[in-house]
Amino acid sequence: MSPEVAVLQALNGISFGALLFILAAGLSLIFGMMDVVNLAHGAFYMLGAYVTLTIVQRTGQFWPALLVAPLVVGLLGLAIEPILLRRLRGRHLDQVLLTIGVSLVIADLVGLTFGREIHSVPLPPGLDSSIAVLGGDYPVYRLFVIAFGAALAALLAVIHRRTQLGALIRAGVGDAPMLSALGVDIDRLFATTFAFGAALAGLAGVIAAPVFGIFPGMDVDALIYSLIVVVVGGLGTLSGALVGAGLVGPADTFGKVLFPEFALALIFAIMAFVLLLRPTGLLGRARIAR
Amino acid sequence: MRRIVPIGAALIAAAALVTFPTWSSGWESSRYATTILRDMLVLAILALSLDLLVGSAGLPSLGHAAFFGGGGYAAAIAAQRLANDDLLLGLGAAALVAAFLALVIGVFAVRAAGIFFLMLTLAFAQMVFALAFQATDITGGSNGLSGVHRPTLLGLDFNAPDALFQLVAAVFLIVVALMWRIRSSTYGRALVGLRENERRMRALGYDTTRLKLSAFVLAGAIAGVGGALSGWSLRFVSTNDVGVARSVEAFVAVLIGGTSTLLGPVVGAFVVLYLERVLPSAIPFAETVLGVVFIVFVLAARQGIVGLARTAYERVRT
Amino acid sequence: MIETRDLRREFGGITALAGVSLTVADGERRAIIGPNGAGKTTLFNILTGELEPTSGEVSIAGEDVTRRRPHELARRGLARMYQRNELFDPLSARENVALAVGAVTGPYRPFTSPPARDLDAADALLDRVGLTDRRGALAKVLSHGERRQLELALALAQRPRLLLLDEPTAGMSPAETARITELIDSLDRALTIVIVEHDMDVVFRLAERITVLHEGRIIAEGTPAEVRADTQVNEVYLGKVVA
Repeated sequence: MSPEVAVLQALNGISFGALLFILAAGLSLIFGMMDVVNLAHGAFYMLGAYVTLTIVQRTGQFWPALLVAPLVVGLLGLAIEPILLRRLRGRHLDQVLLTIGVSLVIADLVGLTFGREIHSVPLPPGLDSSIAVLGGDYPVYRLFVIAFGAALAALLAVIHRRTQLGALIRAGVGDAPMLSALGVDIDRLFATTFAFGAALAGLAGVIAAPVFGIFPGMDVDALIYSLIVVVVGGLGTLSGALVGAGLVGPADTFGKVLFPEFALALIFAIMAFVLLLRPTGLLGRARIAR
Repeated sequence: MRRIVPIGAALIAAAALVTFPTWSSGWESSRYATTILRDMLVLAILALSLDLLVGSAGLPSLGHAAFFGGGGYAAAIAAQRLANDDLLLGLGAAALVAAFLALVIGVFAVRAAGIFFLMLTLAFAQMVFALAFQATDITGGSNGLSGVHRPTLLGLDFNAPDALFQLVAAVFLIVVALMWRIRSSTYGRALVGLRENERRMRALGYDTTRLKLSAFVLAGAIAGVGGALSGWSLRFVSTNDVGVARSVEAFVAVLIGGTSTLLGPVVGAFVVLYLERVLPSAIPFAETVLGVVFIVFVLAARQGIVGLARTAYERVRT
Repeated sequence: MIETRDLRREFGGITALAGVSLTVADGERRAIIGPNGAGKTTLFNILTGELEPTSGEVSIAGEDVTRRRPHELARRGLARMYQRNELFDPLSARENVALAVGAVTGPYRPFTSPPARDLDAADALLDRVGLTDRRGALAKVLSHGERRQLELALALAQRPRLLLLDEPTAGMSPAETARITELIDSLDRALTIVIVEHDMDVVFRLAERITVLHEGRIIAEGTPAEVRADTQVNEVYLGKVVA
């Protein structure tokens, strides 16, 4: 592989990693706070992408989707937590099963509404050009994704470290029952966290839509990747999602270029490997859910 | 006397099942009904094998289709490569390959518990999916393996739909009998103990890791047999048979029907396939209905249909 | 029967055991006492194989078992009673004990029901601990005292040479305590028994020798009379206990 190609692939890898971070951060957050592996996370991502499609089709504009899609998905999450998940508080495995059901419903409804064909949204104007990088042309949009991911990571870090909400989330990641004993409204905290995590998944759907296309089955792909990222990087923490995305993004990209036959299996092998050696991931602080 | 009635009823039901194509031939939709029932029985076999893990041993596996599809591929490929459609060869290849896959995966998977076990099985099953997807020369990749021959046995040919149905029904009944035997055996009780209190089992002297692995392999082998039947039924094996969707389908069937019961997985398979195949002709959002039904069961009827029936029966008795 | 050499166990920065060496003879009845946090549970969990020491060794019947896991120790004749019951709640008392009996005979018989022999043995054990008429009751509906009796039955079902009892009378009424103490007292004298206990009456009734732990070390060891008279023990522990 020539150095130019390597750099371009590295950029692809980082770009993919940035996207994975946005996607996986929500999953990690939900697990960290609530001990629930939200298997509907891919469906939330899918919903975000399809909302983007609707907005682009209706208004011809891309940018509103950046706000509307996460809002829609977040509101859905805000409804799901109290109506469904809360009834299973303490029964972690059953909560996970519940999210499977939610994902089935969302996936089917989306498929019924939009049909089974592959849709696409064009790159937003302004970001649809290419820029010269090391003698090759590189899509500006992918650089945008990297920048967006970095900005989001910074924003989340600030919220996480310096606000009261962040403190609550950090404390919750440590010990939710204790928080409740201290008078924190656990119900509101969980609902907000779930909504926020869902919104992040929806946001990832918006960002990814122009690059990866919109089609039934994208929820499964997204779920699998986000699971891999949080398992590898660390279930439950934002830095875990960052590390995981930083590893999986480039690994997947280079893997597909260097050994395409095994790339897919390789990624899962990495996940399995980490799960075996450090079930909580490289940086995670998860408790074993029953 | 008390035992004769249920045994008699079971035998009558079994006979009715196997002869279904014959006595239903007068129906307008007889062919369709036979096909659907056949596919329900295949899913039931997969669900029964999964319940050995989920119900008996308490191991929530979301990757069980890896063994189902693996068995299907093995039976089809063995018959092709060896130019031999013998039934026992196909079943044997399916069970062995599936068991081997389960052994390899299980050695790693059983070190985890609960949610981590769930994620691990999902990850490994996706690996199998990826391999099946990529190995186009062997498995046909995303196009799958078509033109799968139906098996023969000592001159008997299972090509005709009715004959194939009877084969599926016969294997199904054998699997049910097998599960019934296992559940009431020492081994089955040990699996229940494993589910209820693994720590205690270890303190009593049971090698729980080995116990879990044995259940995983046994369940995998049975799933493989189901996969072979699926391949013969559809004359087609594809990555759909090893994918997440199939694993989830089986899991949904087990839960809706009732985990840790003999007939729960069977009932669940019937319900799931009804919702997936029969209902869509009437309403377009059948998968949604399936999802909603599943959610309702997780929330309010975790013990499944058979569990509910049992509770109702107890209440009526007292 | 049991020998430990300089057992140490650290958890992060905390030293739970700071070098414990003790020897329990065959057929001896030893009690381990000490205030909360003394390291009794840690020591216990190391003896049963659920915890590995940071350093030091444990041997049972002359064999080094420091790295052995619980099921391997159980196969070597070690049985334990947990402080917080570890039972199979949805199963009946009889099925609970049958599982314990089955461990000895081995579980890999997928097509044979538990032999009558195993069930008879289970019934006999339930008789032994006084749960005859609660045979069919599900473990989760038994009273606390009955559950402790069931715990004991599970341990005895393993036909152990060494019995480790973790606070057998925890949470029991005086009548229940008396019954279980009596039961333990009546056990075969060839059985080596180690009890961790807080109830001093029980300790002085059952123990031939007592080991006193404090802050991860043995501060006294001897016959009940010797320990009772030991001033350090009195300061640290006995003085605080309402007799």
